[in-house]
Amino acid sequence: MLITSLLMSINQLLPVVILCLLLNGLVDLTRKQLLVILGSGIVCSFAYVQSAAIVSQLFEHRGLEFTQIMVCCIIFIASLLACNQQKWAASVAIISAMVLYLSHYIIYIVGFWQAKEAAEPLLIGTLLGVGICFSFGTLFYFLLETLKTHFGDNSLHILLASNATAKLLIVIDLASQIDVLDITTRYVDWRGFIAENSELGRVLKALMGYEATPSLTALWVYTAAFSVFVLVCLLIGKKSQFKETL
Amino acid sequence: MYKNLSRGYLLLLLLSPLNVKSEEFILILKDHLFYPSEIYVPANKKLKLLIENQDSTPEEFDSFDLNREKVLYPARQSVIYIGPLSPGRYEFFGEFSPNTARGVVIATEVTNADN
Repeated sequence: MLITSLLMSINQLLPVVILCLLLNGLVDLTRKQLLVILGSGIVCSFAYVQSAAIVSQLFEHRGLEFTQIMVCCIIFIASLLACNQQKWAASVAIISAMVLYLSHYIIYIVGFWQAKEAAEPLLIGTLLGVGICFSFGTLFYFLLETLKTHFGDNSLHILLASNATAKLLIVIDLASQIDVLDITTRYVDWRGFIAENSELGRVLKALMGYEATPSLTALWVYTAAFSVFVLVCLLIGKKSQFKETL
Repeated sequence: MYKNLSRGYLLLLLLSPLNVKSEEFILILKDHLFYPSEIYVPANKKLKLLIENQDSTPEEFDSFDLNREKVLYPARQSVIYIGPLSPGRYEFFGEFSPNTARGVVIATEVTNADN
């Protein structure tokens, strides 16, 4: 239970921490704004968890996937808009990411809290997980600051592009899971190189949506969406540079 | 608003490949164990997994091999479509109880007896 709680907390918190730091690096949210966003994210996650069991039965047991697809698309679009220094878009992206990931962990905690002798390992596992995510977040923050100083905002745009595009891979898997999309079988197999459930695999998954056995559709969507994201960011950058020279 | 959502859903259904009926396999979660723990399925076909969580706690169906992840709420049914799968073994597990809730989908080539 302790190891499961630890892994669960890392798996669900790390993607939120990464997206939060990336957006904060670009949009410069104040401490107060960040606290309000995180608070709203927790409230929205609890609200989602409350309704999730009912939603899961809608549309022939496919309600959860439809809502998750919607949330993933919101994260992608809001992240893209946040590149144009839109604080509200960054807020929407962070809150949506919290709903997507944190709700899973809340379901786990709430479900097992009452179980016999489960509270202690749950609490210790969660604290350890939060600690690891905090340490990783601190290192990642300084890495982003260094990248920003040496290579400018474009380096953050590229990292955000890969992170936001990863949400579209989730959309593909969810759409295939409910038979809305026909996906070809695995196109490449990188499990011998980096397993998805290894430490590095988990970090890469949270950072840029690494999949060890992606389909051809997933590879195409990732490449196309990543290119569009970077291109739009570059155009936004050029536009603001042009405005500044005027 | 609700009318528009319903229309959108109907459109999705029409555009989706749902019209082709997929073979259905039932999976039960009880006492944090999957029954059956081995599911033999035909390769190269789309399949429907109907999962019933009979426990009082939630579980999350997870599979790196199948690229599937879904929360299974207590006393409720869930549906997951998988495939078409190449012949082979595809492991799945319950993320909340990974030590006990484990299983494998085994995809095998089906030879037609008439041929």
